[in-house]
Amino acid sequence: MKDRSKYLFIWPAVLVVLLVTLFPLVYTLNLSFQYVRLIPPLPPRYVGVDNYAKLLEQARFWGVIGNTSTLVFISVGLQYILGLGIAMALHSKVPGERLFRVTFLLPMLLTPIAVALVWKQIFNSQFGPLNELFTAFGYPNPPFLTQINWTYGSLITVEIWQWTPFVILMMLAGLQSLPQDIYEAARLENASNWQIFWTITFPMLLPVSVAVIFIRIVEAFKIIDTVFIMTGGGPGIATETLTLFAYQEGLKKFNLGYTSAISFLFLIFIIVFGTLYMALLKPQLEKRH
Amino acid sequence: MQQSKWGKWGVFAFCAVWFVLTLFPLYWTLVTSFKPVLFVTSGPTYIPWVDFEPTLKPWLDAFSGDRGDFVATFLNSVWISVSASVIAMIFGSMAAYALVRFEFRVRVLAGVIFALVAVGTYVGLTQIKVGEVYAMAVAFPAALLVSILVNRLPLPGPVMKNNDVVFWFISNRMMPPIVSAFALYMLYSKIGREGFKLLDTYWGLTICYTAFSLPLVVWLMRDFFQSLPVEVEEAALVDDVPRFRIFLEIVIPMARPGLIAVSLITLGFVWNEFLFALILTTGDWQTLPILLSGQNSYRGDEWWAIAVAVMIAMTPMVVITIFLGRMMRSGLMLGSIR
Amino acid sequence: MRKLFTGFAVATTLALASTSAYAQCKPQAGMPDYSGVTLTVGSQVGPFIASAMKMGGDDWSKMTCGKVNIVEFPFGELYPKYVTAFAAGEDAFDVITFAPAWTPDLAPFLSDMPAKMRQTEAWMDIHPTYRDRLMMWEGKHKSQTIDGDLHTLHYRIDLFEDPKEQAAFKQKYGRELLVPRTWEEYYQVAEFFHRPDQGLYGVTEAFARGGQQFWFFFTHAAAYTNHPDNPGAMFFDPETMDAQVNNPGWVRALENYKRSLALAPPGALNFSSGDTRQQFAGGKTSMNFDWGDTGTVGTDPEQSQIAGSVGSDLTPGSYEIWNHKTKKWDRFTRVVYSPFMAFNGWQAAVPSTSKNTDAAWHYIETTTNIKNSGIQVITGGSGVNPYRYSHFDSAVWEKKMTPREAQEYLVAQRDSLGADNVALDMRLPFYFDYTEVLEIELTKALAGQVSAQEALDAVAEQWNELTDQFGREKQLAAYRASMGL
Repeated sequence: MKDRSKYLFIWPAVLVVLLVTLFPLVYTLNLSFQYVRLIPPLPPRYVGVDNYAKLLEQARFWGVIGNTSTLVFISVGLQYILGLGIAMALHSKVPGERLFRVTFLLPMLLTPIAVALVWKQIFNSQFGPLNELFTAFGYPNPPFLTQINWTYGSLITVEIWQWTPFVILMMLAGLQSLPQDIYEAARLENASNWQIFWTITFPMLLPVSVAVIFIRIVEAFKIIDTVFIMTGGGPGIATETLTLFAYQEGLKKFNLGYTSAISFLFLIFIIVFGTLYMALLKPQLEKRH
Repeated sequence: MQQSKWGKWGVFAFCAVWFVLTLFPLYWTLVTSFKPVLFVTSGPTYIPWVDFEPTLKPWLDAFSGDRGDFVATFLNSVWISVSASVIAMIFGSMAAYALVRFEFRVRVLAGVIFALVAVGTYVGLTQIKVGEVYAMAVAFPAALLVSILVNRLPLPGPVMKNNDVVFWFISNRMMPPIVSAFALYMLYSKIGREGFKLLDTYWGLTICYTAFSLPLVVWLMRDFFQSLPVEVEEAALVDDVPRFRIFLEIVIPMARPGLIAVSLITLGFVWNEFLFALILTTGDWQTLPILLSGQNSYRGDEWWAIAVAVMIAMTPMVVITIFLGRMMRSGLMLGSIR
Repeated sequence: MRKLFTGFAVATTLALASTSAYAQCKPQAGMPDYSGVTLTVGSQVGPFIASAMKMGGDDWSKMTCGKVNIVEFPFGELYPKYVTAFAAGEDAFDVITFAPAWTPDLAPFLSDMPAKMRQTEAWMDIHPTYRDRLMMWEGKHKSQTIDGDLHTLHYRIDLFEDPKEQAAFKQKYGRELLVPRTWEEYYQVAEFFHRPDQGLYGVTEAFARGGQQFWFFFTHAAAYTNHPDNPGAMFFDPETMDAQVNNPGWVRALENYKRSLALAPPGALNFSSGDTRQQFAGGKTSMNFDWGDTGTVGTDPEQSQIAGSVGSDLTPGSYEIWNHKTKKWDRFTRVVYSPFMAFNGWQAAVPSTSKNTDAAWHYIETTTNIKNSGIQVITGGSGVNPYRYSHFDSAVWEKKMTPREAQEYLVAQRDSLGADNVALDMRLPFYFDYTEVLEIELTKALAGQVSAQEALDAVAEQWNELTDQFGREKQLAAYRASMGL
């Protein structure tokens, strides 16, 4: 379609985003090739790709990428499965659906800092309610936040608790915009629920699913508050995440060149990942049209 | 969907379990906010008057101002998140709609030219002692104009289409925001010295949040618009109805469930954002997450105070969820009538 | 919506009220007139420290007609807030409150304290450890102490003086049950009281990364490494700036620190100093060591289950101290106490970007004068611990504690501060680079991933690298300045 008004639709958004993000982007890119220490002030100097080279050979950087990926992929995967299931349950008019619908969304609307603080208390190995539950089952004082496997379990639990609602909300909205006539046709052919799900619901929801999963991955990779408050990156540095690492370098040490390099490496990493993800799913998406 | 009786009960049980899991931490926070200090540090208690004597003290403390100014911070958060979400929803839905119904072609070469002109003009102007902010104010529109014109020419090289534009939007949310926040502080500070104060102002934070919400809105709304049937719009177009009216009167009502869901997400994002609020505000426009995080002081986790702060930050979100949840349902009704 | 309107109404009334007060204001006799001046004071979210700054501000406003606006940030975010403002040259703060460890980093951006502030009676009342050492950087007075901070030991009087416990202890160890004077005794007592089946544990310390962990470790280390003959040699060799952190004294300290973890309540690996305070006040442990706050929290019946039984003393010392020059353990005939000035106490200073430096320093002087600081020290929740001689007057303290608690608390505070071998905290430019390395390695050692020696070797190696990177000469000069050499 040829229509001049299309520019009117898209420019306001593009302009606002450009105005705010362009300077930081250029600034960061420029800094990533320099050695800059703000405090106490040292004169900045260009060091070429040294920051990148140093990062790539630093074991801590790779560890941080590994930790973050583990957290992100496990929790987003579970969020999607749970979220889709719950959205379908709500869509099928389960009794109490109106109450469930509102309640289920709440965790998503809380500040991650608040969520982390509340769960830290629940996971308290001594005064917490979960400890009482475990003690009742004969396992007193579990090391929720102090032993590596438990810690991952705890962090993933919190991530699922907070962000499954996001998947529920989006999938529910997706389900509601599906045309009803296809379902009626399928029912006339006596298709089972299982068949309907795999042949109609799931494929029709695929575009929304792809978008939801991708945005969750992008957002989840920036996880910091939950980890910072609940474990401080511990035990050892076993749960240190990428943004926590960047925060330490950037806003504690003000080692800005290095932090900029972290940001850019991460940007490249996620763009490559995103492109692959889209490329892999493209045939699936196009089948539908 | 038709279900057996057992299936129905299974689904209900599943939802009920999730209901308890969702609510328990919130309930726990609510009761903790009424617990005297001694009861917090001596093991879990669950029900007021049964296993502990409730007290109002943590609430009175919060409103006494000793733990920071909750009233002013709360109002700041309300103004900023409402404005940023509304602007982002309007601009974002428009862009998302355009990306679904129209075709855009951006030449990579035009992008390169944009970068070259922008940086070149900026460096050139600062060399001849033009202030940094003015140099930017000239370089940015100049580069934009040149690249738009260049984009019209049949240049060689790859062409980016709608999917790439969407990806560009979302890529703005990919970087860890640490350095961006600092860079934005520097930019705001420089603009402030030219007389237009952005640091610690309503506009400074609102613009920033609008910009960082837009990618979310564009990314999510696009899928909702995509699933809408194009026939209604085509019929209207034949009747020469202007695009804008089609968008407002046909598209928006049809995409209502999606719009509500995305507004809720945007509002939640802005309401809870921490890092930009921390860096870009000082005293006048501080928002709730900063105050909330401050309750967790180096003196240790004072659970009772934290619980009060969490409840204060959560209440408006609960109200909005209930309200918007209703609207989403009526949106559904509308859909089924169609 | 009604809530919003009420909020507005309140805000407007307050604004009106304050402007009208301002219109009528006249400065008190002999006081400068700061009408029309509003000072922006950066602080952490209250009540700790912020409430003291506010209280001083109210007094100052009455005296001079100036106004004070306290701006509060989470403690962890104070440093980045100050640094961004200074780096951009923003005039965002007239007064900042901060940790002395940041002094070397922030000093280039701070104004000097006016000379006339240092010629008063109130000046001489400040304890010299603060006045002549911590408030100075590179020979200049850059900041004013607003709070005293050091670690003292706390124990449960009811347990230590229970005849049954005393008899059992004597039978088991062949000596009297006394407040531990050395770390060996500390662990003996801790093991004796460590009874997880009864919900009682030996000790509690902070072990969490980002939870004041390394200050607790430093307190252990001070006892073995702060050699009276080699002042200022605890962290680095003051001649060469070589890191001392992996010498045998430090290794012993880390092994002790790990031992504490085994004698602490479950989940202790995640404890910050605040948790240790709650644990002790909750009656879960026989001892802890901490800042003065355990004293004020533990003796407050509203927050504590052991009020009335909180004894205080110096943190344990040692007969043996590592001598880095001779590379030998030196044995002493008596216990040498090396109380550690952990955190060194909050400071207030005036950035050079401020347009109201005179008013700002005057405000700081008023807030910390004998009268105001005397009130702050005994106000629970102000977070202010003694730093003036006048703060050690026990009469005022007995309103809050039993006479014995007050007595022991003040003696522990005063004797620590006045100890011959008091150990100063580390202050260095690029502070967070050094402590980050330390925190990571400490956390690994505590989690059992590496041995004490390996962890500290890694710290020393990285500290030396950092020193070279930032310039050994400059760092050495700064280190010597911070240790008063």
